[in-house]
Amino acid sequence: MDKKNIKKNVRDGYAKIATQKTSCCGSAKSCNGAPHTAIDISKRVGYTDEELNMVPQGANLGLGCGNPTALASLKKGEMVLDLGSGAGFDCFLAANKVGNTGKVIGVDMTPEMIDSARENAEKGGYKNVEFRLGEIENLPAADESVDVIISNCVINLSTDKKRVFDEAYRVLKPGGRIMVSDIVLLKELPDHIKNSVAAYVGCISGAIKKDVYLKTIKESGFHDIQVMEETVFPLELMANDSAAHEIIDKMNVTTQKLKNIENMVVSIKVKAVKTK
Amino acid sequence: MKKELIDILCCPTCKNNLTLQTEKEENGEILTGKFTCKKCKVSYPIEDGIPDLLPRT
Repeated sequence: MDKKNIKKNVRDGYAKIATQKTSCCGSAKSCNGAPHTAIDISKRVGYTDEELNMVPQGANLGLGCGNPTALASLKKGEMVLDLGSGAGFDCFLAANKVGNTGKVIGVDMTPEMIDSARENAEKGGYKNVEFRLGEIENLPAADESVDVIISNCVINLSTDKKRVFDEAYRVLKPGGRIMVSDIVLLKELPDHIKNSVAAYVGCISGAIKKDVYLKTIKESGFHDIQVMEETVFPLELMANDSAAHEIIDKMNVTTQKLKNIENMVVSIKVKAVKTK
Repeated sequence: MKKELIDILCCPTCKNNLTLQTEKEENGEILTGKFTCKKCKVSYPIEDGIPDLLPRT
């Protein structure tokens, strides 16, 4: 798979989710059995009932690995940039935290997601949130213009993670912080998973090893890098997921094999700071 | 998009400042128009209030 192809597949995959509300990494609609709704998933990854009720319906697609810690740290008046903002869920929660004196900007490369985010902003009457169609590897934000960068289960989808962190560093003000949650690996995945487009879109095969991920952040210039939380990415979410189904069906991956994968895939919340 | 947020925008490719041409504006919100990069001269449309700042190269 070349990088251009992956990007196209990711964009198409998430466009489908935006318009049909089908599932990806963590499913909005389950394929069988007891449904894992976006709300169920969001609670499991740490959002509170209050937060879930706060945002317009449709903003939470249940796709993230959860970033409530980052949201909790936001202060009134801060300028926040959300990388891969999707339908806007985290942006709206962030907007409530930064208040009228703050601003939240969401960047996403999928037009369908931006459309849906804008509709949700209108529904919720948010005045301090805006969305831009753009790429996280080529951020359309000026140097040193942002206090906090948040991102929830998105950077794993990028084929150039170093560039994403370089760009994040560039746009942060001195002393600014990045607080991301993402999927990383504890061990390398078997080739048949690694080479699957479906697994890439489903946030699994684009993930890199945890040590490499943290080293990449460091190499972009960040310091005080802390892993604030690390949890196993729940298999039920993966197994109820259309991407995971495709892997199982097309590649003869047994449930046992999928179980083995689960232990290799974790969700982490990382904080890092740009030098003052 | 709000006018005051132009300051924090830049060209996604060369990171230079953008010039704004407004076609339709309502209550301080730019609904239609375009950005042009001062350096590389690439244009980025604004439609329905959303700037399309995907790199063109």
